[in-house]
Amino acid sequence: MSAFGLLTREAVQDAMRRRIVFAIAAVSVLSLMVVDGCTRCSTGEIVVNGQPQQLDQVAGAAGLLTFVTLGMWIILLAGVLAADHLQQSLEDGTASLCLARPLSRASFALSRLAGVLILTGITGAVLLGATGFFLATRGALALAPAALAAGTCALGAVGIAGLSMALSLTLPRLSCILVVFGAVGSVALANGLGLATHSGGGLLAAIDHFGPPLLSAMTLALAPWVPQVQIPGALPAVLARLVIWSLIGPAALVLAFRRVELGR
Amino acid sequence: MLALEMVGVTKQYGRRKALSEVSLRLEPGGALGLLGPNGAGKTTALRLLLGFCRPDAGGVQLGGLDPQDPSARAGVGYLPERLAVPGRARVASFLRLHAGLAGLTGACAERAVTDVMTRVGIRERADDPLAGLSKGLRQRVGFAQAFLGEPKLLLLDEPTTGLDPLGVRDAREWISRARERGCTVLVSSHLLSEVERTCDQIAILHEGQLAASGSLDEVVNEGESLEDAFVRWVRP
Repeated sequence: MSAFGLLTREAVQDAMRRRIVFAIAAVSVLSLMVVDGCTRCSTGEIVVNGQPQQLDQVAGAAGLLTFVTLGMWIILLAGVLAADHLQQSLEDGTASLCLARPLSRASFALSRLAGVLILTGITGAVLLGATGFFLATRGALALAPAALAAGTCALGAVGIAGLSMALSLTLPRLSCILVVFGAVGSVALANGLGLATHSGGGLLAAIDHFGPPLLSAMTLALAPWVPQVQIPGALPAVLARLVIWSLIGPAALVLAFRRVELGR
Repeated sequence: MLALEMVGVTKQYGRRKALSEVSLRLEPGGALGLLGPNGAGKTTALRLLLGFCRPDAGGVQLGGLDPQDPSARAGVGYLPERLAVPGRARVASFLRLHAGLAGLTGACAERAVTDVMTRVGIRERADDPLAGLSKGLRQRVGFAQAFLGEPKLLLLDEPTTGLDPLGVRDAREWISRARERGCTVLVSSHLLSEVERTCDQIAILHEGQLAASGSLDEVVNEGESLEDAFVRWVRP
């Protein structure tokens, strides 16, 4: 196995040893139970704005909301886990010991990022996979949009985790986690407003236009589930911006880690 | 080509100068003892040699290369003052990881791990969690990881910390054996007797400056012990 592979395996094991993994597992199980419960209804009448609706008419919208909410939770999870995964190894000195070997800093930093992303990826695959499966089998929704949305979620997680890890090199752990919550929340709000109003100015509009389109990309990917709703925005352009952000995150991490003085 | 070289190196942390225009050189196969009281800059010198930080002025080379270049650190064994270990990892798995990072693979890595564990007397502890080991045993694990891959250069920071008298004696023997096979050694310590027994070159750092350097005979006057010379250089 290559040095990068060895370090990534170590980073995953390191992440698995942390107590937060139990919290993630508990939240994931609860989420699955909620999704299971919500997708079980098969008969009955739903009234929206005083108009009776058939279940299959609202299944798409409900499925989209569920999927996007879980996707945003996965992205947030990646950011929070990344907020101390590299920092921890710097504090306890394991980073110095590894970097005394013929190993580049980029390899080390990216292996820590990969460790976080593998753990997040497993959680995401279970949560989004099960949700997609329930929605497809019980709500008759197509799986392809779910797969595409899961892909955009993965790209968002890479970008946010990379940025969070880079930020953790300069900020204390708690501050970094708060910044991650604030940033992901702001992006979600900006994207949500952008999708709802498709207009406006100010900071939120700027975030929506130039920031990582975390929520917009997932929503646009799932647009085939709600054919009756016209969702503004072009998926290829949004995807391209998301890919750029998913590259910016790891690049920022590598650049920031090159400047860090080890072992102080 | 020199095994390691520092030329006019200055390193500052904020306003404090950890090293000031320090120059050191070590020929391949030599053994240099880096002496100095606490805070003299010994660990900073090692950090610079390993590329953990950059000097504010001057140059550092490891085997003729910039230590920031990963290939400069190939064939380097490093023992930090406090060995950092992943909490629940076990001795053998920790050593396997470092064997892999040192470039050893497959059966070769497994053989090297068994060999270093036997050499430092921790083979029967292979499956023990690192977190449960005593200071002395942990230091033995540190030596084991530093010896992986038969390094050409050993950088040892306070190597006898936590070792009992038998352990100290063993450590001296391990270092001597490494030297016999041509390994270059740099020992940073404030234990004068250890340095005197394992090194042929001495460098004394005091408040970030090189107070004295040379062979034992050059640094220590006739009729004087190394301790006397050390006190003379750091407390003039």
